[in-house]
Amino acid sequence: MSRIVVDGRTIPYESGDSVAMAVLRAGEHPHHGGALCLAGDCPNCVCEVDGIAYVRTCQTPAKPGLVVRRHPEVGAPEIREPAQPNVARSPAAAHIEVRRIETDVVVIGAGESGRIAEAEAVAAGRAVTVLDSADGNEVVAIYGGPTVIVRRPDAMVHYNANEVVVATGAAEIQPVCPGNTLIGIVTARAADQMHTAGVDLGVAVAVGTPPQTAPCMAVPGSLVRIVEADGKLSAVVVSHDGNETTTPCDTLIVGLGFAPRDVLSRMAAPHLPVRTVGQAAERFALPPCPTAGIVCPCSKIGVDDLDGVWDRGFRELELVKRASLTGTGTCQGSVCVPHLRAFIAERSGAIPEPFTARPATRQITLAEAAADVHTDVFRRSPLHDEHLALGAQLDRFGGWWRPWNYGDHVAEYWAVREAVSLGDVSTLGKLVLSGPDVVELLERLYPTTVADIKPGRSRYVLLLNERGHLIDDGMICRETDSKFVLTFTSGGAANAEMWVRDWIETWGLRVHVLDQTMSLAAINVTGPLAGELLQRVGLADQPSFLHHVHATVAGVACHVMRLSFTGEASFELHHPADRSAELWRALMASGRDLGVKPHGLQALFGLRLEKGHVIVGMDSEMDSTPRRLNMDWAVKMDKPDFLGRSALARTADLPDERRLFGFTVEGAAPTEGSPIFSDGAIVGHVASSFTSPLLGHGIMLGWLKHTPWPEQVQIDGRTATVARPPFYDPEGLRARA
Amino acid sequence: MLALETLHGTRIVAAPEALDALDAATWSTSVTVLRFAPDDVFVLGAETISISGEYAIVEAESGFVGCWLTDEQLAHVAEHIDWPLPVERPVLVQGFVAGVPAKIWLTSSATGERSLLLCAAPYACELTERLA
Repeated sequence: MSRIVVDGRTIPYESGDSVAMAVLRAGEHPHHGGALCLAGDCPNCVCEVDGIAYVRTCQTPAKPGLVVRRHPEVGAPEIREPAQPNVARSPAAAHIEVRRIETDVVVIGAGESGRIAEAEAVAAGRAVTVLDSADGNEVVAIYGGPTVIVRRPDAMVHYNANEVVVATGAAEIQPVCPGNTLIGIVTARAADQMHTAGVDLGVAVAVGTPPQTAPCMAVPGSLVRIVEADGKLSAVVVSHDGNETTTPCDTLIVGLGFAPRDVLSRMAAPHLPVRTVGQAAERFALPPCPTAGIVCPCSKIGVDDLDGVWDRGFRELELVKRASLTGTGTCQGSVCVPHLRAFIAERSGAIPEPFTARPATRQITLAEAAADVHTDVFRRSPLHDEHLALGAQLDRFGGWWRPWNYGDHVAEYWAVREAVSLGDVSTLGKLVLSGPDVVELLERLYPTTVADIKPGRSRYVLLLNERGHLIDDGMICRETDSKFVLTFTSGGAANAEMWVRDWIETWGLRVHVLDQTMSLAAINVTGPLAGELLQRVGLADQPSFLHHVHATVAGVACHVMRLSFTGEASFELHHPADRSAELWRALMASGRDLGVKPHGLQALFGLRLEKGHVIVGMDSEMDSTPRRLNMDWAVKMDKPDFLGRSALARTADLPDERRLFGFTVEGAAPTEGSPIFSDGAIVGHVASSFTSPLLGHGIMLGWLKHTPWPEQVQIDGRTATVARPPFYDPEGLRARA
Repeated sequence: MLALETLHGTRIVAAPEALDALDAATWSTSVTVLRFAPDDVFVLGAETISISGEYAIVEAESGFVGCWLTDEQLAHVAEHIDWPLPVERPVLVQGFVAGVPAKIWLTSSATGERSLLLCAAPYACELTERLA
C-alpha cells in the first residue's frame, strides 16, 4: 500500500483516495476541525501539500510520498525560506506553461446540467469544451472576452470562448451553531463519499436530509449545538417541537440544503456571453439566521463578530463583508455567504444579493498568477551594441536602456567641454506635423509664438497643461509653412504624442501627425570641436544656432538641428534608425585625433546642470509653473491664448513661495534629494546635484518652498549659497560659437 | 529563434479617404499595405506611391523590423498572445506579443501567403528573446 506523509508521519492510502480521504481513513481530520464537504467548497481540508499552502486536499489525489503539512490552527502557514537564500538575487521562478486555446463554447462543470448544456450546444453544431475539476481542469476565473482561466496540474490554460456556460451545481450548506468547528462533522454528500470509500463513520447521526448511502440514524429537528468531548464531537443537540434532545454520536452528518455554486457567474461582467444553468442558477432558500457559532471558518468570524459590525453601522452585504472580512478567505464565501445573507435579511427585512466575486476562486500560487506575464519592456536604441562595445554601463531611463557612463564620466565631461563628444539621443520624442491648421494648433498648444518661426529655424518650447503646469519641453523646428518637426523628452514622448493628438481631435483641426520617435535615431555631436568633426564627415554648410537643415553626413541623410543642452556647440543628427551604427562609427573614427569620446547621461546631467537647464520630471514637479522654474521668459503672455494661459494669468499676481534655485557648495555635491535647511527647518530639497570638474565645487538645482527665500542654506550639514544659474557661460557664447 | 530584419518601406500619414484609395488599389503580390490607423499606412515593396492631399506626410520608413512567418512559426507566436486572433484574412492586428508591442499581418496560408510579424526596431531584441 502506498503512503503519503502527513506532519512527518506516513499514512497509507488506497487507490482513488484523495489526500483528505486518506487522512480520514486514518481516523484523523485534515485540518483542525470543521464540517467537511469533500467537494472543494469549504476551507476545512486545506493543507500545505508539497510546499504549496492552502491546497484543498479533498481535490488532491494521493500520490506516493506526497508531503502534507497541516496549517496552524491559528494564524497563517509558515513562509518557507529558499533552500539557499541569496539576498542579492531573487530565487528562480517556477516555470508554469500557459496555453491559449480558441474555442466556441466552454461548459464549466460535467454534472447533469453541464452534460445537458454540452448536448444542446453540440446539437446546434457548435464546438464544445467541457471543463471539470474532476478531470484536472480547475476553473479559477472568468475575465473579459470571455476568457476562462483554468489551472491544470501541468499548466495554466486560457480558453477564449464565444460563450461560457456555468454548470457548477450547488454546494451544501454548512452548519453554524456552537461546536461547528469540531472534528467529526461531515455533509451528506461527504458521508456518502466516505462510505463508498470504505471509511468507517462510527455511530453516525444525520440532521436534516440524510445521506443516500451512508448508514446513519436520522434525528428530526433543527441543529442547536454540537457537544465536545476530548477535542471532538461526542453528541448533537437538536430542537424538535420545542424540545431539545441530545444524541451521542461519532459522526454528525448534516443535510441542511444547498446554495448555488455561482462564484464564477458572479465574477463575469454582465455584458459577457456567460450564462448559468442548473443548480448553479437556482435560487435556493436561505438557511435560518445564525445565532451562534462560527459563520466564516476561513477567518474564524463568529455571529458575535457580525453583530459587532452590524452595531457599528455596517448594514449592506459588501460593507459587512469588508468590515468583518467574512467571505474574503480561502473559500471566497462558499460557506459563509448563505448565512451572511440570512443574517442581514433578518435584520434588514430584505434578502441581499450575493456580492460580486473577484478572481481567483481558488488559491493559486504566485507562479501560477504570474505565468506568462512579462515585465515591462525597455527599448534599445539602434546604438545599443555600440554602447556595449565601448564599455557603457547601461541603465533604464524613460522606458529606454541608455548609457549612464562609459567608465569615466569625468573624462566624458571634459571631452564635451574641451573637445568633441557623441551622445545617443535617439530616445527623444519626434513628431512630424503637417496640415493647413498646424500653426493654429501649435499656437494654441505652446506658450511661445510659433507663427514667426521661419522655415529652417527652431525654438525651445515648454509644454504646459491647462493649469499652466509644465508637462514636457522640447524643440519646434519649422520645415515649411505647413510642416513642423517637434521634439520631446525621452520619458515624456509617449504622453506628449497623446497630448498633441487629443488636442487636434478636440479642436477639430486639420493636422496630420507622424510619430517618428522609434523610426529615427539621433546623435548629438557636441563640444568646441563639433563643427570641425562634422566638416570632416561632409557637413560643410553648418546651421547656426537654433537653425536646422537637411544634409548628408558621412553618407547618411540627416536632419541636423543646431541647439545646445550641454552648453557647448551642439548638432543633433536625426537619421534613419537602420543607418545609426554606421554614422556613429564614422563620427568616432573621424574624430579620433580630435579626442572624440561618447558621453553618457551621468556626464550629460552634470553638463546641463552647469547651464541650469531643467530636466522635466527631475527638477520640475507635478505643479511646476514657468514662474516657479524661473522660465517666464519662455511664456508669451501677450499671446491671445494657449493651453494654461488662463491659469497663469489668474495666478500671476498671487504670492508663491515655491521657486527653483541654484545652489553652490564647497566640495562634493550633496546627494540628490537631500533636504535643504534654513534656521534649522526644512525649507526645500535638492533636485539635481553635480560636482563640477570645471568649477571645482558642488552645484545644485533645488526647491525652496518658504519665503522669505534665504541667501544661504544648510545642505548635508554644510553651508550652501543660493545662486542664480547658469553656473557656466552665462552669456551662452559657447553654445552659439 | 525568429530573425527580425529591418523592413524598408514608405510611411504615409494622410486623410483616411486618401489612404482608403491606397488600400483598395490593386498592387503586385510583392507589395504589402499595412494600415496602422485610419490615417496611417506603411507600404512595403512599392517603388512609387502616389497619394492625394498636399499635406500628406510621406517618409521613408526603416524603423520597423519583421519576419515572414511559416504556419509553425505563427502558431508559436500565437502561444505568446493573450488576445484572440481574428478569423478573417488578410487582416492587420496590433497588441502585445509576449508583452512587447507588436503587429501581425495575418494572411491565409491557403493562398500561399505568409503572415508578417513586425515591431518597432527598439523592441526587436526583447521580442526575439521572449519568443525564443
